[in-house]
Amino acid sequence: MNKKLIHKTQTLYIYILIVLFAVTAPLFYFFIQNLYLNEVDETLIVSKSEFLDKSISELTVNDISVWNKFNSRIQIQPNQNLIKDTLFNKLYYSQLEQEDEPFRELNAPILIEGNPYTLSIKTSLLESDDLITGVILLFVIILLILFLVILFINKLLSERMWKPFYQTLQQIEKFEIDKHHKTDLPNSDIIEFNQLNKSIENLIEKSSAIYNNQREFVENAAHELQTPIAVFKAKLDDLMQRSDITNGQAEVLNSLNDTILRMSRLNKNLLLLSKLDKHAFSESETFSLKELIEKNLSFFIEQAKSKSIDIISDFHDDFILNSNKALVEIMLNNLLLNAISHNVGNGIVHILLADKKLSISNSGKNIALSTEKLFSRFSKINPSGKGNGLGLAIVKKICDLNNWQINYTFSEETHTFSVLFH
Amino acid sequence: MKLLLIEDEIELAKSIQQFLNQNDFMCEWVKNLSSAKDKIANYNYDCILLDLMLPDGNGFELLKELKNNNKPEGVIIISARELLETRIEGLTLGADDYLVKPFHLSELLVRIQAIIRRKEFNGNNKITFNEIEIDTLSKVVKVNNQPLDITKTEIDLLLFLIGNKNRVLTKAAIAEHLSGDMADMLDNHDFVYAHIKNLKKKLKDAGAVNYIQTVYGLGYKWENE
Repeated sequence: MNKKLIHKTQTLYIYILIVLFAVTAPLFYFFIQNLYLNEVDETLIVSKSEFLDKSISELTVNDISVWNKFNSRIQIQPNQNLIKDTLFNKLYYSQLEQEDEPFRELNAPILIEGNPYTLSIKTSLLESDDLITGVILLFVIILLILFLVILFINKLLSERMWKPFYQTLQQIEKFEIDKHHKTDLPNSDIIEFNQLNKSIENLIEKSSAIYNNQREFVENAAHELQTPIAVFKAKLDDLMQRSDITNGQAEVLNSLNDTILRMSRLNKNLLLLSKLDKHAFSESETFSLKELIEKNLSFFIEQAKSKSIDIISDFHDDFILNSNKALVEIMLNNLLLNAISHNVGNGIVHILLADKKLSISNSGKNIALSTEKLFSRFSKINPSGKGNGLGLAIVKKICDLNNWQINYTFSEETHTFSVLFH
Repeated sequence: MKLLLIEDEIELAKSIQQFLNQNDFMCEWVKNLSSAKDKIANYNYDCILLDLMLPDGNGFELLKELKNNNKPEGVIIISARELLETRIEGLTLGADDYLVKPFHLSELLVRIQAIIRRKEFNGNNKITFNEIEIDTLSKVVKVNNQPLDITKTEIDLLLFLIGNKNRVLTKAAIAEHLSGDMADMLDNHDFVYAHIKNLKKKLKDAGAVNYIQTVYGLGYKWENE
């Protein structure tokens, strides 16, 4: 289970508190009780000494019953053959409380007029119990307060001390390699944190540099390919104009033409993607999404018609977007052309615009597309198709740039891509 | 018609030059800005084809100079840079058109024709091919002086075919011409066939000669038999 750092130390503190309590409380109780018993024993011994010093010389055997009658604490009992003083705890039934009460008792052998007797002095331990309980309670309360204060101080200190760490953490969480915001790691007076920040900054810098290199490489490669493709196209076109071309040669030329077109398309898409990565499309304008769709709709209807596909558009409401119009157009075109080219004969494409959401559904194969790699580059759903596997990657990228959400759902032979505009 | 091609990519330049010369233009070719400036100072051209990234500078420089000197030449920028900003900058600097590499030569041809038309007749002109007459401004097509009921796309197609007469046009080139940037995303060009079929039928019904020939495996050709 994952816990916050501070919780970890706090729980540790609480565990230590419990263990400490469990160990010290009985120990403390035992000590206090011993201490008290010693005190009581001393009192009993003092009482006995006093008795021996003052009372015993004046006592006669006949006085014993009278003595016993008036002294409940110090009793003279018949000889129990004691050799030396003994101290012990004993329960006596109290008439007052109607229950047994604990007493500490001292039995000592004495001689009254030469006859051996046993002197028994007792003290109630009832008060001591109260006292011990009180002391223990006080102990517990003080300990508890101490711990709470320590816990609180610890929490306060930790929070203050770990603050730069959490700030750094937040910055790292926000960091995205394909976005261009600079990470601003806080300075701290703690060497370890500064070290951490420095390492992270280095790491980010290096990764960004590598990422940018990679992106630039793709962009430059695609860019440099444009001219050779243009030359190839021009030469091919030139060749096609010859009047002595046989049917077989024409077929080869046609297939070459298709290939170079595919290459040109792929290259343009790569260029677009790398420009999207570079955030080259910063300018935005306000426009109506409905109007933008309607602008190219006739083109798509025409495309669909050549495959006997119907386009149904449902514009429940329109909304105004503030974004790069060219990119949104590319996104719409990609989605619509996908819906047309991955359709079935006599199928339909349904464009629904409602609740800040654009859904484009198309009839198609009765298998849901695997969503895992749907939006990643060069993932082709239909390997034999002419698509280059970049269309949806571009759509996704455009959505990401605008913080829009794109979803794919499938039900009953209908594939739906929906874009949620926030 | 005299054209100046400013392009540093030798193979591409040769192809363009050869192609334009075959299509009744006189195309001169220079590889860099300084020789281009010399040429422009000494000769007049109907249209200049300008690459942006040249060994001795940016094509925009030349564009600015032309504008400052009030030179009447039409300018088509041909560049591999397809950023919208570059396009807008080029057009605001006075270029008449912008073509992104790689392009079809047939597309270049009709763009040059359109610019020359605009320059010579101030945009108000008619194209005639035997019994067919096209008014590019009012978008009216007449066959034997009878107006034809024809869509905008079909006029566009007709102009493209006539502009490239006697040349084989691939479906892809036609598709690109008709759908512009969108063609980059199309994975088939079947819709071209439908348009060709409709145009053929309309022309035939109006009594025009069937000039549109299907070239096996390659595409279509406008041919005066």
